[in-house]
Amino acid sequence: MSVAADPFEGLLLPLLGGAYRTALRLTRNPADAEDLVQEAALLASRGFRSFQAGTNFKAWFFRILTNAYFSKYRQERRRGVSVSLEDAPELYLYTQATARGLLGQSDDPVGDLIGNLDSEQIIAAVDSLPEEYRVAATLYFVNDLTYEDIAGSLGIPIGTVRSRLHRGRRMLQRALGQLAQDHGIGQ
Amino acid sequence: MTAPHLFTCEEVFRRLDDYLDRELSAAEMELVAAHLDTCAVCAQEYRFEGRVLEMIRDKLGKIQAPDRLLQRVRQLLDEERRNPG
Repeated sequence: MSVAADPFEGLLLPLLGGAYRTALRLTRNPADAEDLVQEAALLASRGFRSFQAGTNFKAWFFRILTNAYFSKYRQERRRGVSVSLEDAPELYLYTQATARGLLGQSDDPVGDLIGNLDSEQIIAAVDSLPEEYRVAATLYFVNDLTYEDIAGSLGIPIGTVRSRLHRGRRMLQRALGQLAQDHGIGQ
Repeated sequence: MTAPHLFTCEEVFRRLDDYLDRELSAAEMELVAAHLDTCAVCAQEYRFEGRVLEMIRDKLGKIQAPDRLLQRVRQLLDEERRNPG
Protein backbone atom coordinates (compact mmCIF):
# COMPACT_ATOMS: atom_id res chain seq x y z
CA MET A 1 0.00 0.00 0.00
CA SER A 2 1.40 3.37 -0.94
CA VAL A 3 2.02 6.00 1.69
CA ALA A 4 -0.80 8.50 2.04
CA ALA A 5 0.20 12.16 1.95
CA ASP A 6 -2.95 13.24 3.78
CA PRO A 7 -2.77 12.72 7.60
CA PHE A 8 -6.34 11.42 7.72
CA GLU A 9 -5.72 8.92 4.94
CA GLY A 10 -2.51 7.87 6.64
CA LEU A 11 -4.52 6.86 9.69
CA LEU A 12 -7.53 5.47 7.85
CA LEU A 13 -6.17 3.42 4.96
CA PRO A 14 -4.28 0.83 7.08
CA LEU A 15 -7.57 0.10 8.88
CA LEU A 16 -9.60 -0.65 5.77
CA GLY A 17 -8.92 -4.41 5.73
CA GLY A 18 -10.10 -4.81 9.31
CA ALA A 19 -12.94 -2.39 8.69
CA TYR A 20 -14.16 -4.51 5.78
CA ARG A 21 -13.93 -7.76 7.76
CA THR A 22 -15.85 -6.11 10.59
CA ALA A 23 -18.46 -4.66 8.24
CA LEU A 24 -18.86 -8.03 6.58
CA ARG A 25 -19.58 -9.71 9.90
CA LEU A 26 -22.03 -6.96 10.83
CA THR A 27 -23.96 -6.78 7.57
CA ARG A 28 -23.33 -10.39 6.41
CA ASN A 29 -23.28 -9.14 2.85
CA PRO A 30 -20.16 -8.18 0.82
CA ALA A 31 -21.84 -5.36 -1.11
CA ASP A 32 -23.37 -3.90 2.06
CA ALA A 33 -20.00 -4.25 3.80
CA GLU A 34 -18.26 -2.21 1.10
CA ASP A 35 -20.99 0.43 1.27
CA LEU A 36 -20.70 0.57 5.05
CA VAL A 37 -16.92 1.03 4.98
CA GLN A 38 -17.21 3.78 2.37
CA GLU A 39 -19.92 5.54 4.36
CA ALA A 40 -17.86 5.31 7.56
CA ALA A 41 -14.78 6.63 5.74
CA LEU A 42 -16.75 9.61 4.46
CA LEU A 43 -18.28 10.34 7.86
CA ALA A 44 -14.86 10.05 9.49
CA SER A 45 -13.38 12.41 6.92
CA ARG A 46 -16.06 14.99 7.64
CA GLY A 47 -15.67 14.59 11.40
CA PHE A 48 -11.88 14.39 11.48
CA ARG A 49 -11.59 17.92 12.85
CA SER A 50 -13.27 16.68 16.02
CA PHE A 51 -10.75 13.87 16.43
CA GLN A 52 -8.27 14.67 19.18
CA ALA A 53 -4.70 14.03 18.09
CA GLY A 54 -2.96 11.56 20.35
CA THR A 55 -6.13 9.62 21.17
CA ASN A 56 -7.00 6.27 19.65
CA PHE A 57 -7.94 6.78 16.01
CA LYS A 58 -8.80 3.10 15.54
CA ALA A 59 -11.38 3.15 18.34
CA TRP A 60 -12.71 6.49 17.06
CA PHE A 61 -13.12 5.18 13.52
CA PHE A 62 -14.75 1.92 14.59
CA ARG A 63 -17.21 3.88 16.67
CA ILE A 64 -18.22 5.74 13.51
CA LEU A 65 -18.45 2.48 11.59
CA THR A 66 -20.59 0.71 14.20
CA ASN A 67 -22.82 3.77 14.60
CA ALA A 68 -23.30 3.87 10.83
CA TYR A 69 -24.18 0.19 10.90
CA PHE A 70 -26.67 0.59 13.72
CA SER A 71 -28.40 3.56 12.14
CA LYS A 72 -28.69 1.91 8.74
CA TYR A 73 -29.15 -1.79 9.33
CA ARG A 74 -30.41 -2.30 12.85
CA GLN A 75 -34.03 -2.27 11.79
CA GLU A 76 -33.52 -5.32 9.63
CA ARG A 77 -34.39 -8.62 11.22
CA ARG A 78 -31.59 -11.07 11.65
CA ARG A 79 -31.62 -14.23 9.62
CA GLY A 80 -30.34 -17.64 10.57
CA VAL A 81 -30.47 -19.59 13.77
CA SER A 82 -29.22 -18.01 16.95
CA VAL A 83 -27.74 -19.93 19.82
CA SER A 84 -29.21 -19.97 23.29
CA LEU A 85 -27.20 -18.32 26.05
CA GLU A 86 -28.82 -20.47 28.69
CA ASP A 87 -27.52 -23.56 26.94
CA ALA A 88 -23.95 -22.33 26.65
CA PRO A 89 -21.85 -23.78 29.48
CA GLU A 90 -18.36 -22.63 30.36
CA LEU A 91 -15.42 -24.47 28.80
CA TYR A 92 -17.73 -26.16 26.30
CA LEU A 93 -15.00 -27.26 23.89
CA TYR A 94 -12.64 -28.19 26.71
CA THR A 95 -15.32 -30.45 28.10
CA GLN A 96 -15.86 -31.97 24.66
CA ALA A 97 -12.13 -32.59 24.30
CA THR A 98 -12.03 -34.20 27.73
CA ALA A 99 -15.00 -36.43 26.93
CA ARG A 100 -13.32 -37.61 23.73
CA GLY A 101 -10.05 -38.32 25.48
CA LEU A 102 -8.16 -35.76 23.40
CA LEU A 103 -6.47 -34.01 26.31
CA GLY A 104 -3.11 -35.54 27.01
CA GLN A 105 -3.43 -37.75 23.94
CA SER A 106 -3.13 -35.09 21.29
CA ASP A 107 -0.57 -32.31 20.73
CA ASP A 108 -3.36 -30.05 19.48
CA PRO A 109 -6.75 -31.02 20.93
CA VAL A 110 -8.30 -27.74 19.75
CA GLY A 111 -7.10 -28.42 16.22
CA ASP A 112 -8.52 -31.93 16.42
CA LEU A 113 -11.89 -30.56 17.54
CA ILE A 114 -12.41 -27.52 15.33
CA GLY A 115 -9.28 -27.15 13.20
CA ASN A 116 -10.96 -28.59 10.14
CA LEU A 117 -13.76 -26.04 10.22
CA ASP A 118 -13.08 -23.56 7.44
CA SER A 119 -13.36 -19.79 7.66
CA GLU A 120 -16.91 -19.83 6.32
CA GLN A 121 -18.00 -22.18 9.08
CA ILE A 122 -16.31 -20.07 11.75
CA ILE A 123 -18.10 -17.07 10.26
CA ALA A 124 -21.41 -18.94 10.42
CA ALA A 125 -20.82 -19.56 14.12
CA VAL A 126 -20.07 -15.87 14.76
CA ASP A 127 -23.12 -14.92 12.71
CA SER A 128 -25.30 -17.13 14.89
CA LEU A 129 -24.65 -14.93 17.94
CA PRO A 130 -27.31 -12.45 19.03
CA GLU A 131 -26.46 -9.02 17.61
CA GLU A 132 -25.04 -7.34 20.72
CA TYR A 133 -22.68 -10.28 21.26
CA ARG A 134 -21.83 -10.57 17.57
CA VAL A 135 -20.83 -6.91 17.31
CA ALA A 136 -18.58 -7.05 20.39
CA ALA A 137 -17.06 -10.37 19.31
CA THR A 138 -16.36 -9.02 15.83
CA LEU A 139 -14.52 -5.97 17.17
CA TYR A 140 -12.59 -8.26 19.50
CA PHE A 141 -11.66 -11.09 17.15
CA VAL A 142 -11.27 -9.21 13.90
CA ASN A 143 -9.62 -6.00 15.07
CA ASP A 144 -7.88 -6.96 18.30
CA LEU A 145 -9.44 -4.01 20.09
CA THR A 146 -9.04 -3.83 23.86
CA TYR A 147 -12.08 -3.86 26.13
CA GLU A 148 -11.64 -0.10 26.56
CA ASP A 149 -11.49 0.47 22.81
CA ILE A 150 -14.57 -1.70 22.22
CA ALA A 151 -16.38 0.23 24.95
CA GLY A 152 -15.37 3.46 23.21
CA SER A 153 -16.43 2.15 19.83
CA LEU A 154 -19.85 1.06 21.04
CA GLY A 155 -20.43 3.79 23.61
CA ILE A 156 -21.06 1.28 26.40
CA PRO A 157 -19.33 0.66 29.77
CA ILE A 158 -16.28 -1.63 29.92
CA GLY A 159 -18.16 -3.96 32.26
CA THR A 160 -20.80 -4.48 29.60
CA VAL A 161 -18.10 -5.23 27.03
CA ARG A 162 -16.53 -7.76 29.39
CA SER A 163 -19.86 -9.44 30.01
CA ARG A 164 -20.75 -9.58 26.30
CA LEU A 165 -17.36 -10.97 25.33
CA HIS A 166 -17.32 -13.60 28.03
CA ARG A 167 -20.84 -14.76 27.32
CA GLY A 168 -20.33 -14.42 23.58
CA ARG A 169 -17.32 -16.74 23.76
CA ARG A 170 -19.36 -19.35 25.56
CA MET A 171 -22.05 -19.19 22.90
CA LEU A 172 -19.46 -19.24 20.15
CA GLN A 173 -17.74 -22.31 21.58
CA ARG A 174 -21.04 -24.11 21.69
CA ALA A 175 -21.85 -23.12 18.11
CA LEU A 176 -18.40 -24.27 16.94
CA GLY A 177 -18.73 -27.54 18.81
CA GLN A 178 -22.10 -28.19 17.24
CA LEU A 179 -20.83 -27.33 13.77
CA ALA A 180 -17.89 -29.67 14.19
CA GLN A 181 -20.21 -32.40 15.38
CA ASP A 182 -22.58 -31.85 12.46
CA HIS A 183 -19.67 -32.22 10.06
CA GLY A 184 -18.23 -35.26 11.78
CA ILE A 185 -15.07 -33.37 12.80
CA GLY A 186 -13.21 -34.45 15.91
CA GLN A 187 -15.21 -37.65 16.31
CA MET B 1 3.80 -10.88 58.75
CA THR B 2 0.96 -12.34 56.71
CA ALA B 3 1.51 -14.79 53.90
CA PRO B 4 0.82 -13.40 50.43
CA HIS B 5 -2.59 -14.34 49.07
CA LEU B 6 -2.42 -16.96 46.36
CA PHE B 7 -5.26 -17.56 43.96
CA THR B 8 -7.21 -20.80 44.14
CA CYS B 9 -8.23 -22.73 41.02
CA GLU B 10 -11.70 -21.19 41.28
CA GLU B 11 -10.31 -17.66 41.52
CA VAL B 12 -8.13 -18.30 38.48
CA PHE B 13 -10.99 -19.86 36.54
CA ARG B 14 -13.14 -16.75 37.11
CA ARG B 15 -10.33 -14.58 35.71
CA LEU B 16 -9.24 -16.79 32.83
CA ASP B 17 -10.89 -14.77 30.04
CA ASP B 18 -9.53 -11.49 31.38
CA TYR B 19 -6.11 -13.05 31.81
CA LEU B 20 -6.11 -14.30 28.23
CA ASP B 21 -7.00 -10.79 27.11
CA ARG B 22 -4.44 -9.17 29.44
CA GLU B 23 -7.24 -7.14 30.97
CA LEU B 24 -6.40 -7.80 34.64
CA SER B 25 -4.41 -5.48 36.87
CA ALA B 26 -0.66 -6.12 36.98
CA ALA B 27 -1.00 -7.63 40.45
CA GLU B 28 -3.76 -10.02 39.35
CA MET B 29 -1.86 -10.95 36.20
CA GLU B 30 1.04 -12.01 38.41
CA LEU B 31 -1.17 -13.99 40.76
CA VAL B 32 -2.81 -15.87 37.90
CA ALA B 33 0.57 -16.53 36.26
CA ALA B 34 1.95 -17.83 39.55
CA HIS B 35 -1.00 -20.22 39.88
CA LEU B 36 -0.62 -21.45 36.30
CA ASP B 37 3.04 -22.18 36.98
CA THR B 38 2.10 -24.65 39.69
CA CYS B 39 -1.30 -26.06 38.65
CA ALA B 40 -1.19 -28.39 35.66
CA VAL B 41 -4.98 -28.60 35.31
CA CYS B 42 -5.53 -24.82 35.19
CA ALA B 43 -2.51 -24.44 32.90
CA GLN B 44 -4.06 -26.97 30.52
CA GLU B 45 -7.37 -25.08 30.51
CA TYR B 46 -5.50 -21.84 29.88
CA ARG B 47 -3.55 -23.26 26.93
CA PHE B 48 -6.71 -24.80 25.49
CA GLU B 49 -8.77 -21.60 25.72
CA GLY B 50 -5.90 -19.55 24.30
CA ARG B 51 -5.63 -21.89 21.33
CA VAL B 52 -9.39 -21.63 20.68
CA LEU B 53 -9.13 -17.83 20.53
CA GLU B 54 -6.06 -18.02 18.32
CA MET B 55 -7.79 -20.37 15.89
CA ILE B 56 -10.92 -18.21 15.63
CA ARG B 57 -8.82 -15.06 15.05
CA ASP B 58 -6.71 -16.80 12.46
CA LYS B 59 -9.67 -18.06 10.44
CA LEU B 60 -11.62 -14.79 10.62
CA GLY B 61 -8.51 -12.84 9.60
CA LYS B 62 -8.14 -14.72 6.32
CA ILE B 63 -10.91 -12.78 4.64
CA GLN B 64 -9.46 -10.07 2.42
CA ALA B 65 -11.08 -6.80 1.46
CA PRO B 66 -11.58 -6.48 -2.30
CA ASP B 67 -8.84 -4.42 -3.99
CA ARG B 68 -11.42 -2.05 -5.41
CA LEU B 69 -12.45 -0.95 -1.92
CA LEU B 70 -9.21 0.95 -1.31
CA GLN B 71 -9.55 2.66 -4.68
CA ARG B 72 -13.17 3.57 -4.03
CA VAL B 73 -12.43 5.02 -0.62
CA ARG B 74 -9.55 7.07 -2.00
CA GLN B 75 -11.75 8.31 -4.81
CA LEU B 76 -14.49 9.19 -2.35
CA LEU B 77 -12.09 11.13 -0.15
CA ASP B 78 -10.66 12.97 -3.18
CA GLU B 79 -14.16 14.00 -4.22
CA GLU B 80 -14.92 15.08 -0.67
CA ARG B 81 -11.83 17.29 -0.61
CA ARG B 82 -12.84 18.89 -3.89
CA ASN B 83 -16.48 19.31 -2.88
CA PRO B 84 -16.68 19.32 0.94
CA GLY B 85 -19.92 18.28 2.64
